[in-house]
Amino acid sequence: MPRPTPVPALAAPAARVHDSLVLEPRDVRFDWAQLPLHWVPDEPMATHILNVLHLLLPEGERWFVKVFKEAVPLIRDEQLREEVLGFIGQEAVHAEAHQEVLDHLLGQGLDPRPYVRQVAWVFQRVLGDRPWLTPAKRREALIERVAAIAAIEHFTAFLGNWILNSPGLDRAKADPTMLDLLRWHGAEEVEHRSVAFDLLVHLDPGYARRVRTMAMAGPLLVHLWVRGVRFLLAADPTLAGRLRPSWREAYRITRRGLLPDPVASFRSGLRYLRPGYHPTQEGSSSQALGYLATSPAARAAAGR
Amino acid sequence: MDLLTPPPDLYGRPRQDRFLRRLTAIQDRYVQALGGPLLRRNPRRPLSRPLPPLQLVVTTRRQLAADVIELQLADPSGGPLPAWQPGAHLRLVLPSGRERHYSLSGDPADRAGYRIAVRRLPEGGGGSVEVHDTLHPGARLTARRPRNGFAFCAEPAVLLLAGGIGITPLLPMAREAQRHGLDWRLVHVGRSADTLPYADELRALDPHRVVLRTDDEHGGVPTGAELLAHAPRGAAVYCCGPAPMLTAVQRALDGGPVGAGGPGASLHFERFGAAPITDGEPFAVRLGADGPTLDVPADRSALDVLREARPDLPYSCHQGFCGTCEVRLLAGPPDHRDRRLTPEQRAAGSLLPCVSRAAEGETLVLDV
Repeated sequence: MPRPTPVPALAAPAARVHDSLVLEPRDVRFDWAQLPLHWVPDEPMATHILNVLHLLLPEGERWFVKVFKEAVPLIRDEQLREEVLGFIGQEAVHAEAHQEVLDHLLGQGLDPRPYVRQVAWVFQRVLGDRPWLTPAKRREALIERVAAIAAIEHFTAFLGNWILNSPGLDRAKADPTMLDLLRWHGAEEVEHRSVAFDLLVHLDPGYARRVRTMAMAGPLLVHLWVRGVRFLLAADPTLAGRLRPSWREAYRITRRGLLPDPVASFRSGLRYLRPGYHPTQEGSSSQALGYLATSPAARAAAGR
Repeated sequence: MDLLTPPPDLYGRPRQDRFLRRLTAIQDRYVQALGGPLLRRNPRRPLSRPLPPLQLVVTTRRQLAADVIELQLADPSGGPLPAWQPGAHLRLVLPSGRERHYSLSGDPADRAGYRIAVRRLPEGGGGSVEVHDTLHPGARLTARRPRNGFAFCAEPAVLLLAGGIGITPLLPMAREAQRHGLDWRLVHVGRSADTLPYADELRALDPHRVVLRTDDEHGGVPTGAELLAHAPRGAAVYCCGPAPMLTAVQRALDGGPVGAGGPGASLHFERFGAAPITDGEPFAVRLGADGPTLDVPADRSALDVLREARPDLPYSCHQGFCGTCEVRLLAGPPDHRDRRLTPEQRAAGSLLPCVSRAAEGETLVLDV
């Protein structure tokens, strides 16, 4: 059985922040034929808490792509425009990579479609474009969506940084291909963590919009996540509804290092509201790029 | 997808999902309120101004090796230049309008000047010849701020592999590795000693960590395994050189436990996007049913040509896998070359102009 790919150690002075990185999508491919339904062995709830990612991200990241494509004509800075285009390509590849896991779940008898339909409604209808609005309102609504993405990207960078620093999953013998997917994705989230925020500040540097979109996006994300875990546990054919989601169980899983600490996650959300916040203050570019130089999927993509 | 009926309840109860119905109603009202005094961009706040291109002047020029010159570039008024990190490159606009990337080979701590080294390639696209022929001290040119596609991550042990002029981004990395006390080795490969630039500067860093390996002394180009044999234990590999060298190193690393190889081996290199188009034929694209028709030469992509007319057209990978540049095909026989679109999407008229083309003389009518 293949071993998980270690995240390389870095010397103390490694640059946490890399300026002006060239962002490009990577043509990764994964083979899910061997993926067990519970890919964290003996941890169905931990597996499904992380599986919610595969339910949220394909629709969510396609929405990112759509919103950012609409925002490209508003960008007045060449470097930011290039970074946004790199971001779009990376997000588009992420969406399809998670979609493949979703298709695999269906093949294993877990039908995710009822929940995915709800997620699609949230991103396409609730948070979608409304072409009937006046041009001025439509533009404001577009910037509002960019702000929501900047808030969500704060969490994806937080999660990316966590997954790169989560030996608990290796100790629990989580499936190495799934770990590579999550760490490749997490590393690209850390790599491009500034782009959405920089775009928001470029379009509207106002503080009020940043606060109110985080106040909406944060709780919505948590709600969708909890809802997704309940759904997956109920829909898992091997559990037949025997495993009820509980906060006590979630606490145990967190203590085992299989999930990020909820208190740390909440605090991270608050940091986004600090007036001097910038995404470069979180996570390490060197660690992310170090993993991308090591990741089997990213390495194979580079050889194509 | 049906965007009129809210989705049903998750657990099969015979009703619409209440949470989603409320969320939709709230958001509909909220979006209507946007644009009001507190829910809009403050109109009194000025828009940030885009940064202008850098203005640079050539201050010194010196011969580094056979066919290689080094240029020092500085701000014409002597001010500090934007900061950069090892691995960064500068995109220069040459007097003819050609744009070329050159890795910065100087010291990032020196904010007074940028240093690049250029090998004259008579068979190349003309950029290096133009640099050699026209850029003398006093010449003015513009550039874009340094960008980094080859970031140095300072792993505790690193092997730097340079082929010929590929030394330029690795030299600042070696300097940084030395400064931070990393366990580093640098192997510089070239045809003969007189073609290797910066040999003295490298030896001055630490002669024991630098290996100069020339084909004429060793009887031919090195194998990947031979290069990796110089790696300290567990080293991350940074490689910059001709494509065959990079491929050899990649193969040797993937091939198993050779030096730094085996599972978990790190390989960093600069990605240069799409390969040149070698199997294309000239065709044409029309922008909309009654729009102008543009010619796509055999060696350019339709996307490249479209972007000249539609600068806001989004794109990303240039290689037909990310799908960002998707456009709708209204008429014409396409030659799909992407690996992203499904047969259904193609049948419905989707096309990725970054790689897809048409046969010679055909016209693709695109909805752009």
